[in-house]
Amino acid sequence: MMLLDITTFFGRLHPLLVHLPIGFLLMAVLFEILSYFRKYQYLHAAVSFILLMGFIAAIAAGTCGFILSLTGDYDLVNLNNHKIAGILVAIISGLLYLFTTSRAKKLIPINRKVFSSFFILLFVLLSFTGHQGGNLTHGNNYLSLKTLQQREQKKPTSVDEALLFEDIVQPLLLMRCAQCHREGKMKGELSLETLAGMLKGGKSRPAIVGGKLHESELYERITLDPTNEKFMPTDGKTPLTKGEIAIIKWWIEKGMAMDGKKIADIKNAEEIKPRVAAYLGLGSIGDGGEMTANSGIEINQDIPQNINSALVDSLRKAGVQVRVMQHKPVMLDVTLPSGMGNQLPAIRVNLKAIAKNVIWLNLSNNGLTEKELEFLPLMTNLEKLRLEKNPVTDGISNQLAGLQHLEAVNLNETKITKAGLEKIKQLPNLKRIYSWQTLAE
Amino acid sequence: MSDHHHEPIRPYIPEFDALKKGWDRRSFLTKTSLGLGAVALGTLLGKSLFGNQLGQLAAGQSPENLEAEILRALPHFAPKAKRVVYLFMSGGPSQFETFDYKPKLVDMFGQPLPDSVRQGQRLTGMSGSQSILPIVPSIFKFNKHGQSQTWVSELLPYTAEVIDELCVLKSIHSEAINHDPAITFFQTGNQLPGRPSIGSWISYGLGTDNENLPSFIVLVSKNAAKDQPLYARLWGNGFLASEHQGVQFREGKDPVLFLDNPEGYDGADRKEMLDYLSQLNKMQNEVNADPEVEARIAQYEMAYRMQTSVPEVMNISDEPEEVFEMYGPDSKDPGTYAANCILARKLLEKDVKFVQLYHQGWDHHGGLPGGMKQQCKATDQPTAALIKDLKRRGLLEDTLVIWGGEFGRTVYSQGKLLPDNYGRDHHPRCFTMWMAGAGVKPGISYGETDDFSYNVIKDPVHVHDFQATLMHLMGIDHERFTYKFEGRRFRLTDVHGKVVRDILS
Repeated sequence: MMLLDITTFFGRLHPLLVHLPIGFLLMAVLFEILSYFRKYQYLHAAVSFILLMGFIAAIAAGTCGFILSLTGDYDLVNLNNHKIAGILVAIISGLLYLFTTSRAKKLIPINRKVFSSFFILLFVLLSFTGHQGGNLTHGNNYLSLKTLQQREQKKPTSVDEALLFEDIVQPLLLMRCAQCHREGKMKGELSLETLAGMLKGGKSRPAIVGGKLHESELYERITLDPTNEKFMPTDGKTPLTKGEIAIIKWWIEKGMAMDGKKIADIKNAEEIKPRVAAYLGLGSIGDGGEMTANSGIEINQDIPQNINSALVDSLRKAGVQVRVMQHKPVMLDVTLPSGMGNQLPAIRVNLKAIAKNVIWLNLSNNGLTEKELEFLPLMTNLEKLRLEKNPVTDGISNQLAGLQHLEAVNLNETKITKAGLEKIKQLPNLKRIYSWQTLAE
Repeated sequence: MSDHHHEPIRPYIPEFDALKKGWDRRSFLTKTSLGLGAVALGTLLGKSLFGNQLGQLAAGQSPENLEAEILRALPHFAPKAKRVVYLFMSGGPSQFETFDYKPKLVDMFGQPLPDSVRQGQRLTGMSGSQSILPIVPSIFKFNKHGQSQTWVSELLPYTAEVIDELCVLKSIHSEAINHDPAITFFQTGNQLPGRPSIGSWISYGLGTDNENLPSFIVLVSKNAAKDQPLYARLWGNGFLASEHQGVQFREGKDPVLFLDNPEGYDGADRKEMLDYLSQLNKMQNEVNADPEVEARIAQYEMAYRMQTSVPEVMNISDEPEEVFEMYGPDSKDPGTYAANCILARKLLEKDVKFVQLYHQGWDHHGGLPGGMKQQCKATDQPTAALIKDLKRRGLLEDTLVIWGGEFGRTVYSQGKLLPDNYGRDHHPRCFTMWMAGAGVKPGISYGETDDFSYNVIKDPVHVHDFQATLMHLMGIDHERFTYKFEGRRFRLTDVHGKVVRDILS
């Protein structure tokens, strides 16, 4: 039997179901008001039934909504507003229905106009609930008056043209910090939406002080140890990368934390230009390992980002060990198990197809000569190569000649001689070469 | 043969039916929380209409998918090390007689430990009630060795020869003050038993590079005083699947217990028998979905492959005489530390991912000079030989070597202090370990202790930091590698640990 996560499934019905009570209840409001006109008087009789339908639909949508809310991916304030308003809508529509039944009318007679005014309340509440729900899914700025005032911001086309604050620092802070530090939420009584807000600061002191890095609370907090409880962003949100921190630092120190300045107009801007280019995605300067910050290792930019996984699968089926060292870019550690050298012709084509992704290669103890290793020059990103216990001779040096990234090569128990080793040692990045039990020793 | 293996299996086992119905309260409530009709509907829709897509919608919710997602992300970045050999010196080797040279103590021989150093920190019950805590310097001399001019004790002449390969961590500190919690803490990240050991985490996360051998192998020296016990849970799998527990290889005729065929059985139809058994096991597993059954299937199959691979790897007759000379006089006696070092090298050559050696007998509460002499004699030469051997074979390139115990020892003598004899009590606040090989800076010392090797004064490295660094070298971000068990996510370093980036090459 296939056991599904039923709760998730029903939770996700909420956005679908939620439009039913909206439709029903709006119709009830409309009918109730229209029925004051003689032409539409007959609609009054339908109000009771529509209210009942609206009430039932509201309960169903509310239940699904509650299940959905348990997944917990929502802004708590919005969620709470939406939840309470939604429950009120259901209760009020249910009560209104009760008062349309003849029994309730007898018990508590209510003036018709008073009764109708409750419909206005229902309408307001319904609108509020809907709006909060929309904010939950689309974000708080999706439908707001600010949208009217916004002007489209052009993306700068070159680093020199970019405005330091408007094009770089502000969008960066909006992306990383303004989720919590904005008008309406103001965690720590701080808003980072505008420069004024930053200079004013939060509870303790200004977030930014032009030219004074260590009086700028914001800079202090983003550069703390991530385990410190004062570190920002908090709650496991994505921290700023080294590059982003460098930009902010430079803006405070050299840009004196001002707005309206082009990079080109600021003195000594050369040092920050590569960072800005990387941030804006301009130019060819990659962000390398530094921006990904996690590994702290520079990654060779020539390694392809992707690989045809069918090739890897077929190599594995043929008995080759292919170990993924990194997913992006795809770095592979390939081992031809010892004694499988005779399989090489069958896998040669596939091996060539993934050549640029091979970073470590182990062909040891396979009876291979350099003639059979004609694919090696294609593996231009190779860093470690193990050829020990193979009858390769000095000719191998020609095949290795173009491997700019090769760091270590193992030629133990091969037929290499001193002359061959000398040639290999000229490789620009080679750090270690092993030649135990060879003629060179 | 008179077996019926070719006939289709017709299971009629009424007991299984009872199991099928035997939902526990929790799964009953989750799965029927919206009525049995919903289950039926979900099953129908899931199978016919939406197929896999529905499953994808639920991705990240159900435990199976969470687990798959975490495993799929591994490795988190390019690893430097492909294998680890961890030489565990069980009992707590003294840092004073090995690497942490404290010349100023010579002038303070016999003086009580100043309160300003101890600062009221706890002592064990063994020396806590001593009327005096007399300072005792190392009875052994120290010399500078290698290009790095690192101080090494005269007890470790062979290690001194390879000192330029080592990254000596002098500021390791732990939280536990007694053996069981301290060693459990080191091996599993928690002082209480029950968590997976480091090797199990690695095996679970990174899998195997050699189908024919376990990815986590344990070797325990026979030539050591068994003063403090070792127990299988130190290499246990905790809550991870059983196939990830360390497999102990023993000395003698049966290196792995219960691996050989019984006497009088030629093993010709062993494969057939195992296939049939695994068929039966899979049937059972379809009914009650017990992960232990899957683990058992995996282990039977591994054991079958090990029937050929283990004798091959245990056979040291191919090793040239020069190798035995290098590893020292014990190396021809299987089960000794020296022989285990050779075996470790052979296992690493076969791409076994995590090899852990244990050598007991370092718990010198009394008679420390004699004890240390003996312990170092048994381990120094083989340890250095392992480094040299791995290096010349090019294996140090992608193998990480670790040496260390569960805590250090006190600056003061436990028991009576004589000019030529003394003891030292447990001291978790600072001690020395070393790492070497893949991804670690060679020929450096990291961290400093005060003049009494009592407190860390520079660059402390907590046990969790060490574990985080080990994981980092294997390409794992210790914070992202978790396993959900009993409703919460666990990781090796709990909520602690910081990679010691300064020692990474």
